[in-house]
Amino acid sequence: MNKNKYKEILTLYELGKVSLNETFDHIVSKSQKEIKSNDTQKEDDETLEDIMAELYNLVGLKNVKKLVKEIIAFIEIQEKRKKNNLLTEPIVLHMIFRGNPGTGKTTVARILGRIFKKIGVLEKGHLVEIERADLVGEYIGHTALKVKRQVKKALGGILFIDEAYSLARGGEKDFGKEAIDALVKSMEDNKDKLILILAGYEKEMDIFLRTNPGLKSRFPIHIDFKDYTIEELIEIAKIMAKSREYKLSNKAIKKLETILKNKNYEYNSGNARLVRNIIEKAIRKQAVRLQKRKYVTREDLLLLRAEDIGGDDKY
Amino acid sequence: MKKAIIIGRTNVGKTTFMINFADYIGLSKILIKSKYPDGKILNKEFSLHIARKNLISNKAYKTTCLQSISLEIPVYKGSKKVEIIDSSGLCDGIHPNMQIRKSIVQTLENIQNSSILIHIIDLSQSIKDRPEELISEIDRQIIKYGSTRTGYVLLANKIDIKETKEAVDYLKENFSNVLIIPISALYKKGFNEVKKFVINSI
Repeated sequence: MNKNKYKEILTLYELGKVSLNETFDHIVSKSQKEIKSNDTQKEDDETLEDIMAELYNLVGLKNVKKLVKEIIAFIEIQEKRKKNNLLTEPIVLHMIFRGNPGTGKTTVARILGRIFKKIGVLEKGHLVEIERADLVGEYIGHTALKVKRQVKKALGGILFIDEAYSLARGGEKDFGKEAIDALVKSMEDNKDKLILILAGYEKEMDIFLRTNPGLKSRFPIHIDFKDYTIEELIEIAKIMAKSREYKLSNKAIKKLETILKNKNYEYNSGNARLVRNIIEKAIRKQAVRLQKRKYVTREDLLLLRAEDIGGDDKY
Repeated sequence: MKKAIIIGRTNVGKTTFMINFADYIGLSKILIKSKYPDGKILNKEFSLHIARKNLISNKAYKTTCLQSISLEIPVYKGSKKVEIIDSSGLCDGIHPNMQIRKSIVQTLENIQNSSILIHIIDLSQSIKDRPEELISEIDRQIIKYGSTRTGYVLLANKIDIKETKEAVDYLKENFSNVLIIPISALYKKGFNEVKKFVINSI
């Protein structure tokens, strides 16, 4: 588009319609634009509102949304106080996420990274997702090195440690303790450049924090990710199907509901991740069902029927 | 091969600079590739003496096509290759001659894909009390464009003529954001600096 416009103005000059000065003005403004667009990367096109809308579109998670709003307001006001020479609280944003798997912890962390980048708290806002094995070394001295490496990778973004309680597991001789110490040190050292998020199951995280009292005080923000209700899970299923351009029939929704109800009594049932797996399996089952047919209408291709929803039967 | 394009108003010494720069690098013969606006390409080999005689004139618009030579500049033990393109002059406003406008368009097309932009201005055109006249509107625009990109150099030509010292000072004062090298294309003065700049830019 831009190139065509450039060609056009050259042709206009050739025909004697515009002066060379005007033509050159065009070249100058074009090269200035190019410099600007090089400076600001593509991701910067999204506004804070876009990201917030994405967060609000997530099903459930009421307390999370409220807290994020609070944090943003807090940062904004601290900034304004600073400008007016008032005392400011240091912005410490290390967090603890507690909740079962599939309750949206990683998804929220990712969105948070982008929000913090937008409002200028983090430089890059990327998410580095690690677990015990990435931090704990195999021999003496190995652990600190490993931790340092991960922290370096996460500078300017968020370091997200899944199942963080496992660091304290393993007794006296385990290097997990060393990893915790090294983490605490590096998060103090890089206060302004790094946000640390510890995530894990509610109960295990509670025990973990109780046994490491120094940790709890360093993480001012605690977010609980509650299990989704059945209604919310159905809502998630609908959104997932819609984003893949499928539709769930009423009977399919009923069947999904019964499956989820039975599952929900089991511990660690998987929540949203379970729903995703069911939907993905249903899509495959539908494909097999339709393959046998001679004629397939558009409606058939869209619809996921009750017989496609099959729980998680194993192969 | 990286390209270096020489631009400037007409009669500032673009062709003279190209031929004498080749001479300075150590060539005794130059192969000039002329690209005409209608797509015709002509290759001609000149000795430097003949090239000067045939290609340089003190009339405006002697050059109406892109003439290019490829240079191998010795750097330490190796050498770097660069294609130097001589263009026809630019002028303010709309030039009445269609042929010349075509050749100007050809120049403009090449400005953007050349990695080095050598902009020559003529110091002798300044009038003693009014140094502003030295820089015409199009020169001002080229300098503005040059300050937004890499590989731009402003050559202040004809320092061999008397009373050009003030003009150089005026330039350095007013356009401190670009590299300015005072030269004499005719007597090959200041070429060492130009050579260094070209080597560093390729």
